[in-house]
Amino acid sequence: MSSPAIAVEALEKYFPPALSGWRAFVQPVARPTELALAGVSFTVGRGEAVALVGPNGAGKSTLLRILATLIIPTRGRAMLAGFDVERDAARARSQFGYHTGGDEGFYGRLSGRQNLAFFAAMNNITGADAKACIARVAEWMGICEELDRQVRTYSTGMTHRLGLARALLHSPSILLLDEPTRSLDPLAAADFRCQLKEELVRRRGTSLLFASHSLSEVEEIADRVVLIEAGRILACDTPRGLCASTGMATFESAIKQLARHPVPSEALQ
Amino acid sequence: MSSLRTVRKISAFFWRDLAIARGYRGALVLETLEALFGVATYYYLSRFVQSPELARELPVGSSYFAFALVGFAFFDYLSVSIGAFDASLEEAHQNRTLEALLVTQTPLPVILAGSALYPFAALALRTCVYLAWGVLLFGFAPQSANWLGAVAILLASILAFAGLGVMSASYQILFKRGNPAKWVVLGVSGLVGGMMYPITVLPRPLQLLARIIPVTYSLEGMRAALLSGAGWREIWPSVAALLIFAAILLPLSFALFGWALRRTKITGTLTHI
Repeated sequence: MSSPAIAVEALEKYFPPALSGWRAFVQPVARPTELALAGVSFTVGRGEAVALVGPNGAGKSTLLRILATLIIPTRGRAMLAGFDVERDAARARSQFGYHTGGDEGFYGRLSGRQNLAFFAAMNNITGADAKACIARVAEWMGICEELDRQVRTYSTGMTHRLGLARALLHSPSILLLDEPTRSLDPLAAADFRCQLKEELVRRRGTSLLFASHSLSEVEEIADRVVLIEAGRILACDTPRGLCASTGMATFESAIKQLARHPVPSEALQ
Repeated sequence: MSSLRTVRKISAFFWRDLAIARGYRGALVLETLEALFGVATYYYLSRFVQSPELARELPVGSSYFAFALVGFAFFDYLSVSIGAFDASLEEAHQNRTLEALLVTQTPLPVILAGSALYPFAALALRTCVYLAWGVLLFGFAPQSANWLGAVAILLASILAFAGLGVMSASYQILFKRGNPAKWVVLGVSGLVGGMMYPITVLPRPLQLLARIIPVTYSLEGMRAALLSGAGWREIWPSVAALLIFAAILLPLSFALFGWALRRTKITGTLTHI
Protein backbone atom coordinates (compact mmCIF):
# COMPACT_ATOMS: atom_id res chain seq x y z
CA MET A 1 0.00 0.00 0.00
CA SER A 2 1.44 3.43 -0.95
CA SER A 3 2.08 5.99 1.77
CA PRO A 4 -0.42 8.85 2.09
CA ALA A 5 0.34 12.12 0.30
CA ILE A 6 0.20 14.00 3.61
CA ALA A 7 0.64 12.39 7.01
CA VAL A 8 0.36 14.52 10.14
CA GLU A 9 1.15 12.73 13.39
CA ALA A 10 0.55 14.20 16.86
CA LEU A 11 1.61 17.61 15.61
CA GLU A 12 2.01 20.25 18.31
CA LYS A 13 2.93 23.89 17.90
CA TYR A 14 3.49 26.48 20.59
CA PHE A 15 4.62 30.02 19.81
CA PRO A 16 6.49 32.28 22.23
CA PRO A 17 4.36 35.16 23.53
CA ALA A 18 4.72 38.41 21.58
CA LEU A 19 7.20 40.64 23.45
CA SER A 20 7.70 44.36 22.97
CA GLY A 21 10.25 47.04 23.93
CA TRP A 22 13.62 45.78 25.19
CA ARG A 23 12.11 42.35 25.91
CA ALA A 24 11.70 41.89 22.15
CA PHE A 25 15.45 41.12 22.06
CA VAL A 26 14.81 37.84 23.89
CA GLN A 27 11.89 36.93 21.60
CA PRO A 28 14.01 34.57 19.43
CA VAL A 29 14.90 32.46 22.48
CA ALA A 30 11.70 32.97 24.51
CA ARG A 31 9.92 29.86 25.77
CA PRO A 32 7.05 28.88 23.49
CA THR A 33 3.93 28.88 25.63
CA GLU A 34 1.10 29.98 23.32
CA LEU A 35 -0.77 26.96 22.00
CA ALA A 36 -1.51 26.87 18.27
CA LEU A 37 -1.82 23.13 17.56
CA ALA A 38 -2.41 20.43 20.18
CA GLY A 39 -1.47 16.98 18.91
CA VAL A 40 -3.15 17.09 15.51
CA SER A 41 -3.18 13.84 13.48
CA PHE A 42 -4.72 13.07 10.09
CA THR A 43 -3.78 11.89 6.61
CA VAL A 44 -4.59 12.97 3.07
CA GLY A 45 -4.60 10.21 0.48
CA ARG A 46 -3.17 10.51 -3.01
CA GLY A 47 -5.68 12.25 -5.25
CA GLU A 48 -7.84 13.22 -2.29
CA ALA A 49 -9.18 16.71 -1.50
CA VAL A 50 -9.32 17.56 2.20
CA ALA A 51 -10.60 20.83 3.67
CA LEU A 52 -9.50 22.46 6.91
CA VAL A 53 -12.44 24.24 8.49
CA GLY A 54 -12.56 26.25 11.69
CA PRO A 55 -12.88 29.73 13.13
CA ASN A 56 -10.17 32.39 12.87
CA GLY A 57 -7.18 31.47 15.04
CA ALA A 58 -8.08 27.77 15.06
CA GLY A 59 -4.67 26.76 13.70
CA LYS A 60 -5.50 26.11 10.03
CA SER A 61 -2.92 28.51 8.59
CA THR A 62 -0.30 27.41 11.14
CA LEU A 63 -0.83 23.82 10.04
CA LEU A 64 -0.51 24.75 6.36
CA ARG A 65 2.61 26.82 7.07
CA ILE A 66 4.21 23.90 8.93
CA LEU A 67 3.50 21.68 5.93
CA ALA A 68 4.93 24.39 3.66
CA THR A 69 8.19 24.29 5.73
CA LEU A 70 7.76 27.92 6.83
CA ILE A 71 7.34 27.02 10.50
CA ILE A 72 9.02 24.28 12.57
CA PRO A 73 6.64 22.25 14.77
CA THR A 74 7.26 21.96 18.52
CA ARG A 75 6.54 18.23 18.65
CA GLY A 76 5.17 15.52 16.38
CA ARG A 77 5.86 15.26 12.69
CA ALA A 78 4.42 15.93 9.27
CA MET A 79 5.32 14.13 6.06
CA LEU A 80 4.68 15.17 2.47
CA ALA A 81 4.93 12.27 0.01
CA GLY A 82 7.06 10.48 2.60
CA PHE A 83 9.45 13.41 3.26
CA ASP A 84 9.60 14.90 6.74
CA VAL A 85 8.91 18.64 6.49
CA GLU A 86 11.43 19.43 9.22
CA ARG A 87 14.28 16.98 8.61
CA ASP A 88 13.98 16.68 4.84
CA ALA A 89 12.53 20.12 4.03
CA ALA A 90 14.30 20.54 0.70
CA ARG A 91 12.84 17.35 -0.77
CA ALA A 92 9.46 18.02 0.82
CA ARG A 93 9.42 21.40 -0.98
CA SER A 94 9.75 19.70 -4.35
CA GLN A 95 6.46 17.89 -3.69
CA PHE A 96 4.02 20.73 -3.06
CA GLY A 97 2.70 23.98 -4.42
CA TYR A 98 1.60 26.57 -1.84
CA HIS A 99 -0.66 29.53 -2.33
CA THR A 100 -2.55 31.86 -0.02
CA GLY A 101 -5.63 33.77 -1.08
CA GLY A 102 -4.19 37.13 -0.07
CA ASP A 103 -0.98 36.49 -1.98
CA GLU A 104 0.46 39.57 -3.65
CA GLY A 105 4.05 38.39 -3.64
CA PHE A 106 5.15 39.44 -7.11
CA TYR A 107 7.56 41.91 -8.65
CA GLY A 108 5.20 44.60 -9.90
CA ARG A 109 7.63 46.04 -12.46
CA LEU A 110 8.05 42.66 -14.16
CA SER A 111 5.50 41.06 -16.44
CA GLY A 112 3.55 37.99 -15.38
CA ARG A 113 5.70 35.92 -17.72
CA GLN A 114 8.96 37.29 -16.23
CA ASN A 115 7.66 36.59 -12.72
CA LEU A 116 6.71 33.03 -13.61
CA ALA A 117 10.06 32.47 -15.37
CA PHE A 118 11.89 33.66 -12.24
CA PHE A 119 9.93 31.38 -9.91
CA ALA A 120 10.30 28.50 -12.39
CA ALA A 121 14.08 28.97 -12.17
CA MET A 122 13.79 28.86 -8.37
CA ASN A 123 12.12 25.45 -8.83
CA ASN A 124 14.90 24.19 -11.12
CA ILE A 125 12.91 24.69 -14.33
CA THR A 126 14.76 26.70 -16.96
CA GLY A 127 14.94 27.25 -20.74
CA ALA A 128 12.45 25.47 -22.99
CA ASP A 129 11.01 23.49 -20.07
CA ALA A 130 10.19 26.73 -18.26
CA LYS A 131 8.49 28.18 -21.36
CA ALA A 132 6.37 25.04 -21.73
CA CYS A 133 5.43 25.04 -18.03
CA ILE A 134 4.48 28.73 -18.12
CA ALA A 135 2.35 28.23 -21.24
CA ARG A 136 0.61 25.24 -19.62
CA VAL A 137 -0.25 26.90 -16.29
CA ALA A 138 -1.16 30.21 -17.95
CA GLU A 139 -3.62 28.45 -20.23
CA TRP A 140 -5.04 26.53 -17.32
CA MET A 141 -5.53 29.69 -15.26
CA GLY A 142 -6.82 31.68 -18.25
CA ILE A 143 -4.14 34.38 -18.11
CA CYS A 144 -2.39 33.85 -21.48
CA GLU A 145 -3.58 37.23 -22.84
CA GLU A 146 -2.30 39.15 -19.81
CA LEU A 147 1.01 37.40 -19.36
CA ASP A 148 3.18 40.11 -20.97
CA ARG A 149 1.72 43.00 -18.97
CA GLN A 150 3.45 44.32 -15.85
CA VAL A 151 1.97 42.69 -12.75
CA ARG A 152 1.30 46.10 -11.13
CA THR A 153 -1.41 46.61 -13.76
CA TYR A 154 -3.21 43.37 -12.84
CA SER A 155 -6.53 43.28 -11.00
CA THR A 156 -6.67 41.47 -7.64
CA GLY A 157 -8.31 38.45 -9.24
CA MET A 158 -5.69 38.35 -11.98
CA THR A 159 -2.85 38.52 -9.44
CA HIS A 160 -4.55 35.70 -7.57
CA ARG A 161 -4.67 33.54 -10.72
CA LEU A 162 -1.00 34.30 -11.31
CA GLY A 163 -0.29 33.11 -7.74
CA LEU A 164 -2.08 29.85 -8.41
CA ALA A 165 -0.21 29.48 -11.70
CA ARG A 166 3.04 29.92 -9.76
CA ALA A 167 2.03 27.21 -7.26
CA LEU A 168 1.40 24.80 -10.15
CA LEU A 169 4.54 25.58 -12.18
CA HIS A 170 6.52 22.52 -11.10
CA SER A 171 3.55 20.14 -11.38
CA PRO A 172 3.44 19.39 -7.66
CA SER A 173 1.77 16.18 -6.47
CA ILE A 174 0.37 18.06 -3.45
CA LEU A 175 -1.33 21.44 -3.38
CA LEU A 176 -1.60 23.45 -0.14
CA LEU A 177 -4.04 26.35 -0.43
CA ASP A 178 -4.99 28.84 2.24
CA GLU A 179 -8.39 30.38 1.43
CA PRO A 180 -7.87 29.87 -2.31
CA THR A 181 -10.88 31.87 -3.54
CA ARG A 182 -10.72 34.73 -1.04
CA SER A 183 -10.15 37.52 -3.55
CA LEU A 184 -11.92 36.05 -6.58
CA ASP A 185 -15.25 37.28 -7.86
CA PRO A 186 -18.12 34.72 -7.54
CA LEU A 187 -17.96 33.60 -11.18
CA ALA A 188 -14.18 33.25 -11.17
CA ALA A 189 -14.36 31.42 -7.84
CA ALA A 190 -16.93 28.94 -9.18
CA ASP A 191 -14.82 28.40 -12.28
CA PHE A 192 -11.73 27.93 -10.18
CA ARG A 193 -13.42 25.41 -7.85
CA CYS A 194 -14.57 23.37 -10.81
CA GLN A 195 -11.09 23.33 -12.36
CA LEU A 196 -9.48 22.51 -9.04
CA LYS A 197 -11.71 19.54 -8.41
CA GLU A 198 -12.11 18.14 -11.93
CA GLU A 199 -8.77 18.94 -13.55
CA LEU A 200 -6.29 18.81 -10.72
CA VAL A 201 -7.74 16.36 -8.23
CA ARG A 202 -9.80 14.03 -10.41
CA ARG A 203 -7.82 13.98 -13.68
CA ARG A 204 -4.27 14.56 -12.51
CA GLY A 205 -4.51 12.90 -9.12
CA THR A 206 -3.11 15.90 -7.23
CA SER A 207 -3.67 15.73 -3.47
CA LEU A 208 -5.28 18.87 -2.13
CA LEU A 209 -5.32 20.28 1.39
CA PHE A 210 -7.01 23.64 1.66
CA ALA A 211 -8.32 25.95 4.36
CA SER A 212 -11.55 27.78 3.72
CA HIS A 213 -14.23 29.78 5.48
CA SER A 214 -16.75 29.09 2.74
CA LEU A 215 -18.73 25.98 3.67
CA SER A 216 -20.34 25.74 0.23
CA GLU A 217 -16.86 25.73 -1.29
CA VAL A 218 -15.77 23.02 1.13
CA GLU A 219 -18.81 20.91 0.37
CA GLU A 220 -18.20 21.29 -3.37
CA ILE A 221 -14.50 20.44 -3.40
CA ALA A 222 -13.62 18.35 -0.35
CA ASP A 223 -13.76 14.57 -0.13
CA ARG A 224 -13.17 14.90 3.59
CA VAL A 225 -13.32 17.73 6.11
CA VAL A 226 -11.07 18.31 9.12
CA LEU A 227 -12.81 20.59 11.61
CA ILE A 228 -10.29 22.38 13.85
CA GLU A 229 -10.90 24.62 16.83
CA ALA A 230 -8.31 26.00 19.27
CA GLY A 231 -5.63 23.77 17.77
CA ARG A 232 -7.60 20.55 18.21
CA ILE A 233 -9.41 18.40 15.66
CA LEU A 234 -13.10 18.26 16.49
CA ALA A 235 -14.14 16.06 13.59
CA CYS A 236 -12.70 14.42 10.49
CA ASP A 237 -15.07 12.83 7.98
CA THR A 238 -16.74 13.23 4.61
CA PRO A 239 -19.34 16.03 4.40
CA ARG A 240 -22.03 13.37 4.14
CA GLY A 241 -20.53 11.45 7.06
CA LEU A 242 -20.57 14.59 9.19
CA CYS A 243 -24.24 15.14 8.38
CA ALA A 244 -25.03 11.50 9.24
CA SER A 245 -23.08 11.50 12.50
CA THR A 246 -24.78 14.69 13.72
CA GLY A 247 -28.23 13.85 12.34
CA MET A 248 -28.31 17.18 10.50
CA ALA A 249 -29.82 17.72 7.09
CA THR A 250 -27.22 20.18 5.78
CA PHE A 251 -23.45 20.35 5.93
CA GLU A 252 -23.55 23.85 7.40
CA SER A 253 -25.79 22.81 10.30
CA ALA A 254 -23.59 19.73 10.88
CA ILE A 255 -20.52 21.94 11.23
CA LYS A 256 -22.36 24.28 13.60
CA GLN A 257 -23.53 21.31 15.67
CA LEU A 258 -19.99 19.86 15.86
CA ALA A 259 -18.52 23.20 16.87
CA ARG A 260 -21.00 23.37 19.77
CA HIS A 261 -20.77 19.69 20.76
CA PRO A 262 -17.39 18.34 19.71
CA VAL A 263 -16.87 14.59 19.21
CA PRO A 264 -14.67 13.13 22.03
CA SER A 265 -11.06 12.80 20.86
CA GLU A 266 -11.07 8.98 21.47
CA ALA A 267 -13.93 8.68 19.00
CA LEU A 268 -11.80 10.39 16.31
CA GLN A 269 -9.08 7.75 16.66
CA MET B 1 24.69 19.45 -11.39
CA SER B 2 23.57 21.11 -8.18
CA SER B 3 26.27 23.80 -8.44
CA LEU B 4 25.14 24.50 -12.03
CA ARG B 5 21.59 24.87 -10.71
CA THR B 6 22.81 27.25 -8.03
CA VAL B 7 24.62 29.37 -10.64
CA ARG B 8 21.47 29.42 -12.78
CA LYS B 9 19.38 30.48 -9.81
CA ILE B 10 21.79 33.21 -8.80
CA SER B 11 21.87 34.48 -12.38
CA ALA B 12 18.04 34.45 -12.39
CA PHE B 13 18.19 36.86 -9.45
CA PHE B 14 20.62 39.09 -11.36
CA TRP B 15 18.40 39.26 -14.47
CA ARG B 16 15.33 39.84 -12.29
CA ASP B 17 16.99 42.82 -10.59
CA LEU B 18 18.37 44.17 -13.85
CA ALA B 19 14.90 43.99 -15.41
CA ILE B 20 13.43 45.81 -12.41
CA ALA B 21 16.21 48.45 -12.50
CA ARG B 22 15.51 49.06 -16.21
CA GLY B 23 12.05 50.16 -15.11
CA TYR B 24 13.66 52.99 -13.14
CA ARG B 25 15.98 54.58 -15.74
CA GLY B 26 15.53 58.05 -14.27
CA ALA B 27 16.99 56.87 -10.96
CA LEU B 28 20.12 55.65 -12.74
CA VAL B 29 20.70 59.12 -14.24
CA LEU B 30 20.10 60.81 -10.88
CA GLU B 31 22.53 58.46 -9.12
CA THR B 32 25.20 59.31 -11.70
CA LEU B 33 24.62 63.01 -11.02
CA GLU B 34 24.63 62.40 -7.26
CA ALA B 35 28.09 60.82 -7.65
CA LEU B 36 29.22 64.00 -9.43
CA PHE B 37 28.09 66.14 -6.48
CA GLY B 38 29.93 63.87 -4.05
CA VAL B 39 33.15 63.97 -6.06
CA ALA B 40 32.91 67.77 -6.49
CA THR B 41 32.46 68.20 -2.72
CA TYR B 42 35.68 66.28 -2.03
CA TYR B 43 37.52 68.22 -4.74
CA TYR B 44 36.71 71.62 -3.22
CA LEU B 45 37.31 70.32 0.30
CA SER B 46 40.75 69.10 -0.78
CA ARG B 47 41.59 72.56 -2.19
CA PHE B 48 40.71 74.05 1.17
CA VAL B 49 42.63 71.64 3.39
CA GLN B 50 45.80 71.17 1.30
CA SER B 51 48.82 71.77 3.55
CA PRO B 52 52.47 70.59 3.85
CA GLU B 53 51.57 68.62 7.05
CA LEU B 54 48.83 66.77 5.25
CA ALA B 55 51.00 66.11 2.21
CA ARG B 56 53.55 64.34 4.45
CA GLU B 57 50.87 61.85 5.61
CA LEU B 58 49.56 61.03 2.15
CA PRO B 59 50.78 58.18 -0.10
CA VAL B 60 53.73 59.28 -2.24
CA GLY B 61 52.72 61.30 -5.28
CA SER B 62 49.03 61.62 -4.43
CA SER B 63 46.87 64.62 -3.54
CA TYR B 64 44.30 64.87 -0.77
CA PHE B 65 41.57 64.88 -3.41
CA ALA B 66 42.75 61.51 -4.79
CA PHE B 67 43.10 60.16 -1.23
CA ALA B 68 39.59 61.28 -0.22
CA LEU B 69 38.02 60.19 -3.51
CA VAL B 70 39.26 56.61 -3.12
CA GLY B 71 38.22 56.66 0.56
CA PHE B 72 34.77 58.01 -0.25
CA ALA B 73 34.16 55.58 -3.13
CA PHE B 74 35.23 52.46 -1.26
CA PHE B 75 33.63 53.37 2.05
CA ASP B 76 30.42 53.68 0.06
CA TYR B 77 31.18 50.19 -1.23
CA LEU B 78 31.50 48.93 2.35
CA SER B 79 28.29 50.55 3.55
CA VAL B 80 26.15 49.31 0.67
CA SER B 81 27.66 45.82 0.70
CA ILE B 82 27.00 45.44 4.43
CA GLY B 83 23.42 46.47 3.83
CA ALA B 84 22.91 44.52 0.59
CA PHE B 85 21.86 41.27 2.25
CA ASP B 86 19.44 42.68 4.78
CA ALA B 87 18.11 45.14 2.18
CA SER B 88 17.26 42.19 -0.05
CA LEU B 89 15.46 40.50 2.86
CA GLU B 90 13.62 43.70 3.75
CA GLU B 91 12.57 44.23 0.15
CA ALA B 92 11.29 40.65 -0.07
CA HIS B 93 9.38 41.24 3.17
CA GLN B 94 7.85 44.44 1.86
CA ASN B 95 6.78 43.19 -1.55
CA ARG B 96 5.66 39.93 0.10
CA THR B 97 7.79 37.74 -2.14
CA LEU B 98 9.78 36.18 0.71
CA GLU B 99 7.18 33.54 1.51
CA ALA B 100 6.79 32.68 -2.18
CA LEU B 101 10.59 32.35 -2.45
CA LEU B 102 10.92 30.25 0.68
CA VAL B 103 8.54 27.55 -0.54
CA THR B 104 10.53 27.06 -3.74
CA GLN B 105 13.36 24.56 -4.08
CA THR B 106 15.94 27.28 -3.42
CA PRO B 107 17.59 27.45 0.00
CA LEU B 108 17.64 30.80 1.79
CA PRO B 109 21.45 31.25 1.57
CA VAL B 110 21.14 31.05 -2.24
CA ILE B 111 18.23 33.51 -2.16
CA LEU B 112 20.39 35.82 -0.07
CA ALA B 113 23.46 35.50 -2.30
CA GLY B 114 21.39 35.88 -5.47
CA SER B 115 19.61 38.96 -4.16
CA ALA B 116 22.93 40.60 -3.27
CA LEU B 117 24.56 39.96 -6.66
CA TYR B 118 22.95 42.84 -8.54
CA PRO B 119 23.54 45.41 -5.76
CA PHE B 120 27.22 44.38 -5.65
CA ALA B 121 27.54 44.69 -9.44
CA ALA B 122 25.69 48.03 -9.50
CA LEU B 123 27.91 49.23 -6.69
CA ALA B 124 31.08 48.34 -8.61
CA LEU B 125 29.69 50.36 -11.51
CA ARG B 126 28.92 53.28 -9.20
CA THR B 127 32.48 53.20 -7.84
CA CYS B 128 33.74 53.39 -11.44
CA VAL B 129 31.43 56.37 -12.00
CA TYR B 130 32.94 58.15 -8.97
CA LEU B 131 36.45 57.59 -10.28
CA ALA B 132 35.43 58.54 -13.83
CA TRP B 133 34.00 61.89 -12.66
CA GLY B 134 37.25 62.49 -10.80
CA VAL B 135 39.31 61.77 -13.92
CA LEU B 136 37.09 63.69 -16.34
CA LEU B 137 36.45 66.87 -14.37
CA PHE B 138 38.77 67.18 -11.40
CA GLY B 139 42.21 66.04 -12.45
CA PHE B 140 42.28 62.67 -10.70
CA ALA B 141 45.08 60.92 -12.60
CA PRO B 142 45.57 57.23 -11.88
CA GLN B 143 48.05 56.75 -14.78
CA SER B 144 50.39 54.59 -12.77
CA ALA B 145 47.59 52.56 -11.17
CA ASN B 146 47.95 48.81 -10.71
CA TRP B 147 44.47 47.91 -11.98
CA LEU B 148 44.85 44.15 -11.49
CA GLY B 149 45.94 44.81 -7.93
CA ALA B 150 42.89 47.03 -7.42
CA VAL B 151 40.61 44.24 -8.70
CA ALA B 152 42.28 41.75 -6.31
CA ILE B 153 41.70 44.13 -3.38
CA LEU B 154 38.11 44.66 -4.50
CA LEU B 155 37.36 40.91 -4.68
CA ALA B 156 38.99 40.22 -1.30
CA SER B 157 37.04 43.18 0.16
CA ILE B 158 33.76 41.81 -1.20
CA LEU B 159 34.39 38.48 0.56
CA ALA B 160 35.27 40.15 3.86
CA PHE B 161 32.40 42.66 3.69
CA ALA B 162 29.96 39.87 2.68
CA GLY B 163 30.66 38.18 6.03
CA LEU B 164 29.62 41.38 7.81
CA GLY B 165 26.63 41.68 5.48
CA VAL B 166 25.36 38.17 6.27
CA MET B 167 25.73 38.92 10.00
CA SER B 168 23.68 42.04 9.48
CA ALA B 169 21.06 39.95 7.64
CA SER B 170 20.94 37.56 10.62
CA TYR B 171 20.00 40.51 12.82
CA GLN B 172 17.45 41.62 10.24
CA ILE B 173 15.78 38.22 10.07
CA LEU B 174 15.55 38.01 13.88
CA PHE B 175 14.52 41.56 14.74
CA LYS B 176 13.18 42.85 11.39
CA ARG B 177 14.40 46.46 11.49
CA GLY B 178 16.61 49.08 13.14
CA ASN B 179 19.84 47.17 12.68
CA PRO B 180 22.29 48.66 15.23
CA ALA B 181 25.09 46.19 14.36
CA LYS B 182 25.29 47.68 10.88
CA TRP B 183 25.57 51.22 12.20
CA VAL B 184 28.19 50.24 14.77
CA VAL B 185 30.32 48.63 12.05
CA LEU B 186 29.85 51.60 9.74
CA GLY B 187 30.40 54.15 12.52
CA VAL B 188 33.61 52.52 13.74
CA SER B 189 34.83 51.95 10.18
CA GLY B 190 34.09 55.56 9.26
CA LEU B 191 35.92 56.87 12.32
CA VAL B 192 39.03 54.72 12.32
CA GLY B 193 39.07 53.03 8.88
CA GLY B 194 40.88 55.89 7.16
CA MET B 195 38.17 57.10 4.83
CA MET B 196 38.89 60.85 5.15
CA TYR B 197 42.30 60.88 6.80
CA PRO B 198 45.24 58.51 7.20
CA ILE B 199 44.96 56.36 10.33
CA THR B 200 48.40 57.66 11.41
CA VAL B 201 46.69 60.86 12.62
CA LEU B 202 44.60 58.84 15.13
CA PRO B 203 45.59 58.23 18.77
CA ARG B 204 47.39 54.95 19.37
CA PRO B 205 44.35 53.00 20.77
CA LEU B 206 42.23 53.95 17.75
CA GLN B 207 45.06 52.94 15.42
CA LEU B 208 45.00 49.50 17.08
CA LEU B 209 41.23 49.37 16.63
CA ALA B 210 41.71 50.25 12.96
CA ARG B 211 43.90 47.15 12.58
CA ILE B 212 41.06 44.80 13.50
CA ILE B 213 38.50 46.01 10.95
CA PRO B 214 38.59 45.01 7.27
CA VAL B 215 37.89 48.44 5.76
CA THR B 216 41.32 49.71 6.89
CA TYR B 217 43.08 47.06 4.78
CA SER B 218 40.67 47.58 1.91
CA LEU B 219 41.37 51.33 1.77
CA GLU B 220 45.12 50.93 2.27
CA GLY B 221 45.35 48.33 -0.48
CA MET B 222 43.12 50.26 -2.85
CA ARG B 223 45.04 53.51 -2.36
CA ALA B 224 48.34 51.71 -2.79
CA ALA B 225 47.10 50.12 -6.04
CA LEU B 226 45.36 53.17 -7.51
CA LEU B 227 47.40 56.11 -6.21
CA SER B 228 50.94 54.78 -5.81
CA GLY B 229 50.81 52.07 -8.48
CA ALA B 230 52.15 49.65 -5.88
CA GLY B 231 53.24 46.20 -7.02
CA TRP B 232 51.97 42.84 -5.75
CA ARG B 233 54.58 42.83 -3.01
CA GLU B 234 53.09 45.95 -1.40
CA ILE B 235 49.47 44.99 -2.05
CA TRP B 236 49.73 41.39 -0.87
CA PRO B 237 49.59 42.11 2.91
CA SER B 238 46.26 43.94 2.46
CA VAL B 239 44.85 41.12 0.29
CA ALA B 240 46.01 38.51 2.83
CA ALA B 241 44.47 40.44 5.75
CA LEU B 242 41.15 40.74 3.90
CA LEU B 243 41.18 37.02 3.06
CA ILE B 244 41.82 36.18 6.72
CA PHE B 245 38.84 38.36 7.69
CA ALA B 246 36.77 36.53 5.06
CA ALA B 247 37.92 33.11 6.28
CA ILE B 248 36.81 33.99 9.82
CA LEU B 249 33.69 36.05 9.09
CA LEU B 250 32.05 34.02 6.30
CA PRO B 251 31.72 30.65 8.15
CA LEU B 252 30.81 32.48 11.35
CA SER B 253 28.18 34.59 9.63
CA PHE B 254 26.61 31.61 7.82
CA ALA B 255 26.45 29.65 11.10
CA LEU B 256 24.80 32.67 12.74
CA PHE B 257 22.40 33.05 9.84
CA GLY B 258 21.47 29.34 10.00
CA TRP B 259 20.72 29.70 13.72
CA ALA B 260 18.69 32.88 13.17
CA LEU B 261 16.71 31.22 10.38
CA ARG B 262 15.86 28.22 12.54
CA ARG B 263 14.82 30.44 15.45
CA THR B 264 12.46 32.48 13.27
CA LYS B 265 10.92 29.28 11.91
CA ILE B 266 10.33 28.21 15.51
CA THR B 267 8.89 31.55 16.61
CA GLY B 268 6.85 31.78 13.41
CA THR B 269 8.19 35.25 12.60
CA LEU B 270 10.12 34.40 9.43
CA THR B 271 7.79 36.28 7.13
CA HIS B 272 6.67 38.94 9.60
CA ILE B 273 7.41 42.54 8.67
